[in-house]
Amino acid sequence: MAATKTRTSSFSRNLPAASSAQSPEIKCGPNGTFLVSSGIPDLDKTLGGGIPLGSLVMVMEDSEAPHHMLLLRNFMSQGLVQKQPLLYASPSKDPRGFLGTLPSPSSPKDDKSRSHDAEQEKGLRIAWQYKKYFGENQSNLDGQRDNKQEFSNEFDLRRPLDRHFYTGQHVDCISTKDLPNIAALQERCTSFLSQFPRNDASIACTGRIAIQSLCAPQCESSNMEWEMLSFIRSLKSTVRSANAVAIITFPSSLVSPSFCKRWQHLADCLVSVKAIPDEDKELAKLLTGYQEIVGFLNIHRVPRINTQVPAVLEATTLSIKLQKRRYLVLECLNQAPVDGSSGSSYGTSGSCSGSSSKSGSLDF
Amino acid sequence: MADSICRTIRDGALEGEHAPSLTIKDTTASPYGFDVFTHVLSQTASLILAGKSQSRGLVVVAYSRSPSFYLDYLKRSGVDVASSQKWIHILDCYMDPLGWKHQLAETGILPSNSSADSCLFQDVKDINKLHSLILELGSGLVGQGKVRFSVAIDSVTEMLRHVPLSKVAVLISDLRSHDQISSIFWLLHSDIHDVRVTTSLEYLSSMVASVESLNQSSDGLSGDLGNLSLLEQNFRRGKFHVRFKRRNGRVRVMNEQFHMGESGIKFTSVTVEDGLVSQGLVPKVLFNLELSEKEKLERARVVLPFEHQGNGKPIQIYDGRRSLAPESMGEVSADTSQSNTEECSNGGGEIIYFRDSDDERPDSDEDPDDDLDI
Repeated sequence: MAATKTRTSSFSRNLPAASSAQSPEIKCGPNGTFLVSSGIPDLDKTLGGGIPLGSLVMVMEDSEAPHHMLLLRNFMSQGLVQKQPLLYASPSKDPRGFLGTLPSPSSPKDDKSRSHDAEQEKGLRIAWQYKKYFGENQSNLDGQRDNKQEFSNEFDLRRPLDRHFYTGQHVDCISTKDLPNIAALQERCTSFLSQFPRNDASIACTGRIAIQSLCAPQCESSNMEWEMLSFIRSLKSTVRSANAVAIITFPSSLVSPSFCKRWQHLADCLVSVKAIPDEDKELAKLLTGYQEIVGFLNIHRVPRINTQVPAVLEATTLSIKLQKRRYLVLECLNQAPVDGSSGSSYGTSGSCSGSSSKSGSLDF
Repeated sequence: MADSICRTIRDGALEGEHAPSLTIKDTTASPYGFDVFTHVLSQTASLILAGKSQSRGLVVVAYSRSPSFYLDYLKRSGVDVASSQKWIHILDCYMDPLGWKHQLAETGILPSNSSADSCLFQDVKDINKLHSLILELGSGLVGQGKVRFSVAIDSVTEMLRHVPLSKVAVLISDLRSHDQISSIFWLLHSDIHDVRVTTSLEYLSSMVASVESLNQSSDGLSGDLGNLSLLEQNFRRGKFHVRFKRRNGRVRVMNEQFHMGESGIKFTSVTVEDGLVSQGLVPKVLFNLELSEKEKLERARVVLPFEHQGNGKPIQIYDGRRSLAPESMGEVSADTSQSNTEECSNGGGEIIYFRDSDDERPDSDEDPDDDLDI
């Protein structure tokens, strides 16, 4: 998204004057929100620029795959690299040890060639009758890239983060394993969030909360479902009135269905990750680039704060790829052209395309 | 496949990672989970004895069978149990789990007899004690250093009778993250428990092996008597379905068939079936909206109507009157003709336009396509 906003109405929001001189890690979003990066540029793009301050992101884990850890790692690294205070809760005995495995920002010379492709597509070729009288128009996007470098970084999953980023007063870790009840976690979160009150003055600093595997079976408190529900609710309201973003991952299969639904409704931004079967020939035929895909990311809800207009995404399922086993990349699914000679046609299933131009073994 | 399971258990844990853990689950429709468990146990034991596996010792927490049963079984499977003191310890939670016999012996009603081979555990409700005892026995076998040992829990179903799920989950996750544990596997009868129990234990395990019956609807009640012998035969067979969680986050799914024979369980590979798994995962997108490299090149080669103008060459406008005879091809600019023929050969189609009459002037407003310059 470009940094300039288009005026669609005669009303303009009265932004505080100081907001124009923001730090680059906060971007102005639509409807008076401020966005921070999730650490994954592709996810930022899909969510409309970033995660709005004050929103609660919930990630539904797949118990068969650790992809939620990839999301958490990038989120936490992004915050640490931008010197934002972090509160991390996990069910392991030593959460601080996990900080040593966070990825480091990749150096510019390792940049992928994917960005080059994106630029190539953007240049429009205009076939215009009077072109012979004027020169060609070329859109120039280079100016944007400098801004993006500071808002969000690419992370190299193979290089650990430098120690000085996370050994500081601003990083706090809690182990949820031995907590007798959830109230202790709630208190820590509330006291952490009190550092970032929201008022009309400029945003001094923003904080991030990352809670991993809430309601994992190892935690004593995972049985108390009503208490956990009220914890999430109070966290959501506290985060909403603070300049912070909270991300909670939870194993959705371990929570009873009614509570799972309630938790999902509480989220401002809801995504789920899914594992894919290994060496599955059907899937390899269906998708291009199957070899690199490690899982799927489904976006169920995009944060819409201060607006009633729904967001319609181009694609709600993205594939999670690890390029060169280092860089996390989210891509839209590309279905390989289906072989026309095999399988049954779509016409039998009554889909809107009446004529079956493509056929395959899928049956919708 | 049972072999892959045993190999994964043999390979054990890497530094800094959780130990591989296996859940074997079965149902009453196909109650052969215990046979699978003992099969894995004997394989692991023979690998330990032969020195081929990462773990050097085995601690068996026995709830549903007595220790002597296990020793006999191992002897029958060809594992040398003479030196069993050195590499296996069986924690006996079967004989006197709640300590009743001990209490009765204290009051003098029952004679007390203690077995020297195995360790009698009389306090199954105390999970912390169990935890420390397992670690103690294990390090008693392998010493204190970097050497690891494996743990086999006879039946988590039995354990869950005495201890709630959260404590069992704590025990298992602690064992998994312990430095000295190489691998851990357990048996679960999944139809006895809530779904939550099964999913929690599957969450904690890196391999899930389920024993299923051949025909899905067999609960013993359906099927007429004429087919009884067939039912009996089918009862001895079943499907063995394994899901491995791999390190890259993918799930490897394997299927086998097994057959209960006189000498135990035997696994055979099954013919490959079409995978219907993938259809649920991929969303129902009908169109491919991205371009491959080849398609991008093609697109770059398309000559749009007015694109080649303004290059300094004279502008030719096609008005449908003249046919493109071979000699007039030379008049048309060379680069466009090349791209045109390329395009024609690629597209395979042409528009051939015959004017109604030659009287019409080229710049008539009726047909704006006259202006087109391709």
